[in-house]
Amino acid sequence: MSQAELEGQTLPRPRRRKDQEGWWQKHGISLVAVLVFLGLWQLSGLFLNPILLSTPVAVIRDWFQIALNGYLFIGLLEGFREMLIGLFFGVVVGITVGILMGRYQALDRILSPYVNFFNATPLIVIIPLVIIWIGITVNARIFLVFMITLWPMLLNTVSGIKNVPKGYMEVGQAFGFSERELIRKVAIPAAVPYILAGARVAAGLSIIGMIVGEMEISFFGLGMMLSTYGASFQTGHFFAVVLTSSIFGIVNVSILKWIQRRWFPWIAGTAGQNT
Amino acid sequence: MLSIRHVSKVFDTKDREVLALHDVNLDIEEGEFISFVGPSGCGKTTLLRIIDGLTEPSEGEVIFNGQVLSGVSREMGFVFQDINLLPWRSVVENVEIGLEARGVEKSERRRQALEALRMVGLEQVADVPPYTLSGGMQQRVGVARALAIRPKVLLMDEPFGHLDNFTRETLQIEVAKLWQQLKTTIIFVTHDVDEAIFLSTRIALFHSNPGRLAKVLEVDLPHPRWEFNVRADERAIAMREYILDYLGVRKDVMV
Ligand SMILES: Nc1ncnc2c1ncn2[C@@H]1O[C@H](COP(=O)(O)OP(=O)(O)OP(=O)(O)O)[C@@H](O)[C@H]1O
Ligand SMILES: [Mg+2]
Repeated sequence: MSQAELEGQTLPRPRRRKDQEGWWQKHGISLVAVLVFLGLWQLSGLFLNPILLSTPVAVIRDWFQIALNGYLFIGLLEGFREMLIGLFFGVVVGITVGILMGRYQALDRILSPYVNFFNATPLIVIIPLVIIWIGITVNARIFLVFMITLWPMLLNTVSGIKNVPKGYMEVGQAFGFSERELIRKVAIPAAVPYILAGARVAAGLSIIGMIVGEMEISFFGLGMMLSTYGASFQTGHFFAVVLTSSIFGIVNVSILKWIQRRWFPWIAGTAGQNT
Repeated sequence: MLSIRHVSKVFDTKDREVLALHDVNLDIEEGEFISFVGPSGCGKTTLLRIIDGLTEPSEGEVIFNGQVLSGVSREMGFVFQDINLLPWRSVVENVEIGLEARGVEKSERRRQALEALRMVGLEQVADVPPYTLSGGMQQRVGVARALAIRPKVLLMDEPFGHLDNFTRETLQIEVAKLWQQLKTTIIFVTHDVDEAIFLSTRIALFHSNPGRLAKVLEVDLPHPRWEFNVRADERAIAMREYILDYLGVRKDVMV
């Protein structure tokens, strides 16, 4: 037997556990837990009034019903468009103003009382005011989404810019970047993790804004369906709509995660390092 | 060529006032390799930053080729102790920073950055993200980044302080070779007396409280120094003993 073969036998390769961990090892326990939960829910249907909780099987059946007759998608599509417009403006304005506030202390001092005020106010309470200003229109719903997504986006961007590692800025300065280059080429890229975290919060809130707007400003889409099904004790349909909005939220977050992996691999690459 | 005249620096912090540097005067000639050595907190970094223009002196001035410096100098390259490579840029893009700030056109910038990386032996990792490199390699990139702008003066702040002994010695030899090849003036801050003796033509010794320049020594050893065992050389040994005594290291140690 050659030396290599001997070594091959006596020194088994160390198993790379983390990498080899399969799908089942990683997600098995979560899956089992979900199945147990669904099972219990289904069983509860045997002795509870279906108006209270409905059952998973009924929810799926009702979901297919409203999906196939088109209600769900018509409502979803229009609501989705409004949500995206509101979110878009929230993100753009939030990032822009956030960068300026993060970099220029005077502006930060002038604006932060208002920012903190709006951020602390549960914005559902401004709905009557929004209706007075804009009326019962699509624009009012867009504005609500904007108002709800703006503040987390703005505050996260401000923290991101304020927390740019000092060493990064010094490198830029020492090598001769102008103020504009410092912001564009150092501060903004360094703030991306915060900005993405803000976007994740804003994306979640935008769904809330959309649905609340559809329930409280003008009756429409998913919000209208929730109100109607709730009021008419169609709990199965109700949960089918809830399920749809959850899927919506999951898709949102997945898109943002994908953006981070695709365009900002360095965030994961430097995670846990000092800077 | 570089004149430090009556430079003092006071840091005003909330609870105290620190006299970081008191009346430093020093002339540095073109092509010199001068090291700043002294205890922690004696103002070495502060002086280096004042020379580069990153920090304003409270008093005094730095004169470079007949001109009083103001603002960050375009002709000096700074090698930071914490290298702080920007993680969203590849290695070569990090090296390009100084050239970018100077408005060098893109393909020319890439060419010069790759050349700087070649000087430190890293052109093969030009396109990888910097956080995938070892500490020693990152420090080399830091040197390349400063070299890329072809600085008249290279300022190095304890560049090898974080590294292990093997890597440090390798990099010391590389810096000595770069200096010989490029004939740049180098100002080098270090805690390590042997490192200073191995590299320098002169060594400036600093005292602390307040930080001040205490003495400047000539290192009277032949170049190139990687061709003989400097550490075992009698003159070098005598010099190390002298420096350690002078800085009071021996006195302060309790037995
Ligand atoms: N930005 C600052 N604000 C306030 N005090 C400062 C600042 N920078 C330096 N100092 C003070 O100035 C003195 C000199 O600091 P400096 O960093 O120049 O020392 P050093 O010789 O480089 O020390 P080390 O060898 O530990 O790096 C110290 O007392 C330090 O606390
Ligand atoms: Mg220092």
